[in-house]
Amino acid sequence: MKAVEFIEVTRKFGNFKANDEISFDIKSNDVHCILGENGAGKSTLMNILFGIIKKDSGKMKIFGEEKDFKSPLDAIKNGIGMVHQHFMLIEDFTVLENVILGNEITLKTGIDFKRSELILNELVEKYSLGLDVNARISELSIGQQQKVEILKLLFRESDILIFDEPTAVLSPVETDRFFKIIGTFKNDGKTIIFITHKLNEVKYISDRVSVLRKGKLVYESDNADKDLNIPELSRAIVGELSEISNPVKRAAEINTSDAVVLENINLVLNELNVLNGLDLKLKKGEIHGICGVEGNGQSGIVDVIYGIEKNFTGSFKKYIEGGISLVPDDRKRKGFIKEYNIGENISLKGKNLNYLPEKRINEISGKIISENDIRVSDIESPMGDLSGGNQQKVIFARESDSENYVIVLVHPTRGVDINASAFIHGRILKLRNEGKAVLVISSDLDELILLSDRLSVLYKGKILKTFARKDFSGYIKEENEVELTADPDFLQSIGKLMTGITDE
Amino acid sequence: MNRKSLINLISVSLSVIVTLLIIFILLLILNKDPFLIFSKIFSEVFADGYGIGQTLFKATPLIFVSCGLAVCFHASIFNIGAEGQLNAGAFVTALVALKLDFLPFPLLITVSLICGFIISGIFGLIPAYIKIKKDVSEVITTIMMNFIILALVNFFLLDFFAVKSTMRTEKISANFMFLKMEDVIPFFQGSSLNISFLLALLLAFLMYMFIYKTGFGYKLRSVGFNEIASRYLGIRTNAVIMISFFIGAGITSLAGMNYIFGYKGFYEFGFSNNIGFTAIAVTLLARNNPIGIIFSSLLFAVLDYGGLSVNQLVPKELMLVVQGIIILSLLAVDKLVNNYFRGKIVS
Repeated sequence: MKAVEFIEVTRKFGNFKANDEISFDIKSNDVHCILGENGAGKSTLMNILFGIIKKDSGKMKIFGEEKDFKSPLDAIKNGIGMVHQHFMLIEDFTVLENVILGNEITLKTGIDFKRSELILNELVEKYSLGLDVNARISELSIGQQQKVEILKLLFRESDILIFDEPTAVLSPVETDRFFKIIGTFKNDGKTIIFITHKLNEVKYISDRVSVLRKGKLVYESDNADKDLNIPELSRAIVGELSEISNPVKRAAEINTSDAVVLENINLVLNELNVLNGLDLKLKKGEIHGICGVEGNGQSGIVDVIYGIEKNFTGSFKKYIEGGISLVPDDRKRKGFIKEYNIGENISLKGKNLNYLPEKRINEISGKIISENDIRVSDIESPMGDLSGGNQQKVIFARESDSENYVIVLVHPTRGVDINASAFIHGRILKLRNEGKAVLVISSDLDELILLSDRLSVLYKGKILKTFARKDFSGYIKEENEVELTADPDFLQSIGKLMTGITDE
Repeated sequence: MNRKSLINLISVSLSVIVTLLIIFILLLILNKDPFLIFSKIFSEVFADGYGIGQTLFKATPLIFVSCGLAVCFHASIFNIGAEGQLNAGAFVTALVALKLDFLPFPLLITVSLICGFIISGIFGLIPAYIKIKKDVSEVITTIMMNFIILALVNFFLLDFFAVKSTMRTEKISANFMFLKMEDVIPFFQGSSLNISFLLALLLAFLMYMFIYKTGFGYKLRSVGFNEIASRYLGIRTNAVIMISFFIGAGITSLAGMNYIFGYKGFYEFGFSNNIGFTAIAVTLLARNNPIGIIFSSLLFAVLDYGGLSVNQLVPKELMLVVQGIIILSLLAVDKLVNNYFRGKIVS
């Protein structure tokens, strides 16, 4: 039985074909992974399936019946549910209020909250979601918020569930729990469509994979026996690996000296202990990685080091001249002005800012574009028109080209495709080799293991433990390879620390 | 001209055309002859030098106030308080000019304008401070400040400075009045047009340079586009907001120059005739561009002055309707035009 059939689905934006005659089937009760780089057309296809975007031509069948959804409401009525990458929740509403919104069970006198609560509690129990349905969204962690989104789908009794990069924001432990929930869905006979960048997960969870590249279907494979050919898959995703063929090697350890030292830092914001006696030492010529579940003080560390937050206690010492560079976590909000073009964004950060003539701005743009392999149709395009990976390359170039000897990078490759990730990773190693002090805060453990000279685990505003590279380097197969597998035992011990479990 | 300005120009022109079409239809529904009305408006304005002069005279304060608002709007400060700010500034300008009449002409003008600028600017700093410290929207505070400022001006004027049984100050000496354009160019015979208009053009040009070509203007627009990113980029955003509010509100005070030094020689309560609000429409139509403000001010001045001539045919409130429709159609057309030219790639 086929749950979804795409038949020559095409969607254009201007001259750009986001989906180019895509045809494939999704079997009922499968976990079907859809892979591809940013801009490959995955989200467009899913948005067509969910009724957000209309297709230009082609057909789409749901359980054998031809459908053309006019709106998400239309898709929801047909049993399709979607968990977006950015959650669609109302912060000031409770879990219950969010879930029933749009599908309220009503009495003559209004909404039947009692019955709704009963139904939700049953669902929470059945799928062991561990949610308090009367909690406010603003009190929940990212992982819990995702469960609220899942609860929404269950409440609406959706049969086809679409997840757009669900694990990007989850810690290893949360990811495990999430996969268990997916397993329950499968046992219930639901069809799951899963978009991700993480190939390990694909191999672990999927029954079948489809790969899109430049709007076309380029690869399909069965994975019922979990025997997916990962190298073949990654080649299908990226096409040619232009950057990876020329990797930057980690230079031998340089004589490291302290650059920035934080001792016993406490930071309280809105009566919450953001940082709780934090000790952190950044050294020249060293990449210091920080892992941890989001919301454990990552942004506090950044704001203290970068000087945005001044109301902290403890000692903050900087041993080198010059400023601090920052690649912020939320690039759209903090990283650039989307209305300005590349050159304008670059020169905005310069000291003694004066008016630069257009010609000079374009020179700067041209230099950045050619040095960083940025794809842009027009040199004067505003930054907002660039893809996420290209935006990140611009920000990265701006921050790393400066004379600053301390560089803070937060999620340097989040939402960035494999080619651009490899490029950025190479540049980070280069900065280290040049003797700069680099701090990398990320939720991608593979990335941290690949890059870090020292790796610290952050929990509730405090560093629980710091590993030296020799503690984990033995587990790495080979550096700068596309696929990197760290030792599962090591991952597990880090995962435990991230949830606050210390064995000692 | 780059692509973006071209798109802006297209969307602004289209929205003006759409507005005219809607008015056209509206007049038909009211059973009036739109051709007659439009031709009357235009013949009133363009028939002779007097009509043109009066229209430029009416455009002058609009250009001043709108240039001030453009500074605020570029920093994403939606200043609705120009009406109050400009009255406070103009009142003080007239008072200073009256009290310091021993000064030589250029110095007196400069000092009194600067005093007016500072007073208006300070009234702009109050909502700016509340916005920064308490995160209260400037839309609300500036609207409320209008009532407060106008009441204060009224109180001080009537109780201390007004000529008996009028709403105006004493008249300043004729030595301090601006040159009338009719004295230089006889074409403008009889109109009140004076060199304030040329100063307004100069200011628009300077503000264009300031906003688009200086380092501060660059920061100002960054803050307007994305305040959080600007802070992370090392811009002192609160300082930028305070300064922009001060400058923007200060400039609105210059609207008084045209009336006090160029026309009547005194400050009169109610002289502003809501230009503080009309200027919002003018500025939005110009997409906050000071050069564009010159043209949109002229358009509004044509409607205002030409509108007088059709007073018997249609109520003069029709011109308010035009202002409203222009803003609405601008918002609607702008979206359409931008989507059409964008070919935005969603992935």
